[in-house]
Amino acid sequence: MLQPELIQLLTASDLVDLRIDAIPKLQVGFRPGCFFSSSGSQDGEAKLTFIPQQILLNKDHELFEDGDIHRHLYLQNLSTCPAYDSPTARQCEFRCYISGCSQVFSTVEDYEHHYNTLHRHVCSSCQRSLPSARLLDIHIQEWHDSLFSILAERQDMYQCLVEGCGSKFRTRDQRKDHMIKIHKYPSDFMFDKVKRIKNIKIAKKNMLQKGTSMEVSMSVSEPEGVCEVLSDQPEEEEYMEINHSLEPGILDPPSNPINTVELSTDHDTAPILSVTIQPTTNQQRPQHNRERHSYRVPRTVCFGQGSVQGFRGHGRRI
Amino acid sequence: MWRLNAVRHKAGRQGSDLEEFKFKRREHEKELRRARKDSQLVSKRLLLNDDEEEDGTMDTLASDQVVELFNMVRHGRDLVKKEADLRALRKALRSPSAHLILIKQPNSIAILVTNLCGPNPQCRLEAARCLHELSHSPHSEVDSLRLRQATPYLITFLSGQSPKFTELCLYTLGNMCPDSENVRDMLLAQGIIPALNNCIQIHRTNLAVVEAVGFTLSQLISANYVTGTIIPAVLASGLIPRLLSVLTPDSQFGLGPVIECAWCLHYLACSNVDNGALVAQGTLLHCTSLLVTLGVAVAKGSIEEGIELLIWPLLRCVGNLLLSGPLGALQPQLNDSRLLAALCAFPQAFLQTHPALARESIWVLNNLTAAADSSVFCSALFYLNLVPALIQLLPFSHGINIMVLRVLGNIAHQGREYCLHLAQAGLLPALCATLKMADTEVVTFSLEVLGQLMASDPQLAEEFVRQSGLPMLEAIQYSNQETIRLRATHLLEHHLPPHCTVDTSASQ
Repeated sequence: MLQPELIQLLTASDLVDLRIDAIPKLQVGFRPGCFFSSSGSQDGEAKLTFIPQQILLNKDHELFEDGDIHRHLYLQNLSTCPAYDSPTARQCEFRCYISGCSQVFSTVEDYEHHYNTLHRHVCSSCQRSLPSARLLDIHIQEWHDSLFSILAERQDMYQCLVEGCGSKFRTRDQRKDHMIKIHKYPSDFMFDKVKRIKNIKIAKKNMLQKGTSMEVSMSVSEPEGVCEVLSDQPEEEEYMEINHSLEPGILDPPSNPINTVELSTDHDTAPILSVTIQPTTNQQRPQHNRERHSYRVPRTVCFGQGSVQGFRGHGRRI
Repeated sequence: MWRLNAVRHKAGRQGSDLEEFKFKRREHEKELRRARKDSQLVSKRLLLNDDEEEDGTMDTLASDQVVELFNMVRHGRDLVKKEADLRALRKALRSPSAHLILIKQPNSIAILVTNLCGPNPQCRLEAARCLHELSHSPHSEVDSLRLRQATPYLITFLSGQSPKFTELCLYTLGNMCPDSENVRDMLLAQGIIPALNNCIQIHRTNLAVVEAVGFTLSQLISANYVTGTIIPAVLASGLIPRLLSVLTPDSQFGLGPVIECAWCLHYLACSNVDNGALVAQGTLLHCTSLLVTLGVAVAKGSIEEGIELLIWPLLRCVGNLLLSGPLGALQPQLNDSRLLAALCAFPQAFLQTHPALARESIWVLNNLTAAADSSVFCSALFYLNLVPALIQLLPFSHGINIMVLRVLGNIAHQGREYCLHLAQAGLLPALCATLKMADTEVVTFSLEVLGQLMASDPQLAEEFVRQSGLPMLEAIQYSNQETIRLRATHLLEHHLPPHCTVDTSASQ
């Protein structure tokens, strides 16, 4: 309950000098030249506005409500109950602040895991979250570097994804083969094309589940822009088939089961999946042309999943 | 001696089942909250009489029986018989339905008043009890207006010597006070305040009467629209020193009277009519001394049941009185450093049972640390090593962490030394946690405090980065809440050392 130091302070003997004016006063004030933001803000607006303020509370103030209720219960003799269930102090919940995410967590660890999974190493073009800085670099290079595809025609540009390997390949397929053969990756590893998942649910309300990743990508420059882009887009769930075309907003109805949704970006070049996604020749749906990608994310792989940005509905509120 | 059980409300404990009782109490609590929102929060008290201690059954008389009783009282000449009739009438009035029957009788109140002033002491007592029952009536027809004939007599009797009788008169008047402004004006004009002053002086050793005076006064001054005449009259009356003399933690005297007097002082202070006068009469000194005593008791673990009912009004009184003048001028009354320790001890002790009390305790600390000359108190908080105790309250909602952040912000505003000491006490890692919280207001305040810390000394900015605080600020930049987005951006742009990168891909 009470900490020992407090107990000691309060039960100190009379010999101890308890007077406040006997306590040495720390020096007041800031160093000259200290940039105190609320007065010296260079862009003219005071961004930090807190000022110490004494607060006078009148009798009807809402802060006084619980105490008043307790008093009147006592006056009416209803407070002497052994198990008086008054409101107890709650620990604050934690919330992810990434716009559009809004998930709430009861412990810091849960929140940090969420953040590290979904919001770290985020590609600023397509808002995918990659597991590491290196993979982010590769992703950016392979998907958002217009020079890359030009160079790839003449050189081996596709790096092996295994750190330390250093091999490079001319095509994505070659890289994939290399990783399967040499590095013993499973053939269904999420290289470029992912398997179709059978059960696809769409949660209109709950966007993200803890620790899982989302197959969502929207590009966000400003929240307002995103809002406009997405306002007529259906929401997305974690595992789904996504047909992406290079033209934004075009869906591919025949190939979608009814309960999948799609999102397209407003970027012409950005695919909406992870680094390793690419259309492969042996894909299951030959009707797609080279620019149409069909991507799914296996449930067990948290790799190269997109994070959520922009206005996509609301998470659980506190 | 704790009088908590002696004074009962009619609702009482009729349901024998504990669950039923708790359910009723929860419903009741909801009603009270609704009433408070409408500024209609009013309570009345009913004294139980000695021969009714085992109350459980109420003999509800038929209406003609009530009428008959009353007629006997009205016409009776034999005083002994009249006394018996009055007693029977009083018992009948335990049942609310009898109230309506009685007041329909012509001159019913006048007859009671006649007996109230009559020669026979027992008749007086029983008549007073009848009026008391009526003052507590749930029926709106039985209001103070109807009972107004009795008030001048009731007030006069407050200066009398009989404790039991005086107590009855007090509670009757106390029940009438909240009814309307007219009633209060009438009571004021009839001299209730000097009468209360006399009463508490005469009966100062009788805890029941002192409690009743406190209750009646609190009813008078806690009603709405009293600041015009009533509170100035109380302040000028000489009642304050008498109330203060009750604030002694004498366990023999019981908590009941102290509680009532403390609530009176709270209502006086929060009305802000003339808090300077309150302070001049020693209110701040007495309240802080008692808070220290209670803090010591809490530290020793000897928390009596109901002690929070006393701590609450004292905290409120002190909190509001701190604004009555420059803090430097008030300092002689605040010179016991254990007050700060007590203000940190109450939240720890009452966090789970009464979080609102924890919050109000920190509010008092805010008022101590937010004034222009608060540096002595801020220094004292460090000297006594109380800041870690405050930091530990940061995880808690219910407004507690916001108030703590205010206090920490107040301290940080004092200067660079204070910021460094705050960091030494472990504030930076704690802020890293509060920046992640769901409540936007908490994050806003955290950013403010953080900004102040980092602005005061670049070491602190570097320390913040070492504590991995940077990703948090970056994350907040993506929030859809503008207030925190702007502040986070501001901190990143202006207060972090230039070598810190913003690029997440290059981070740890």
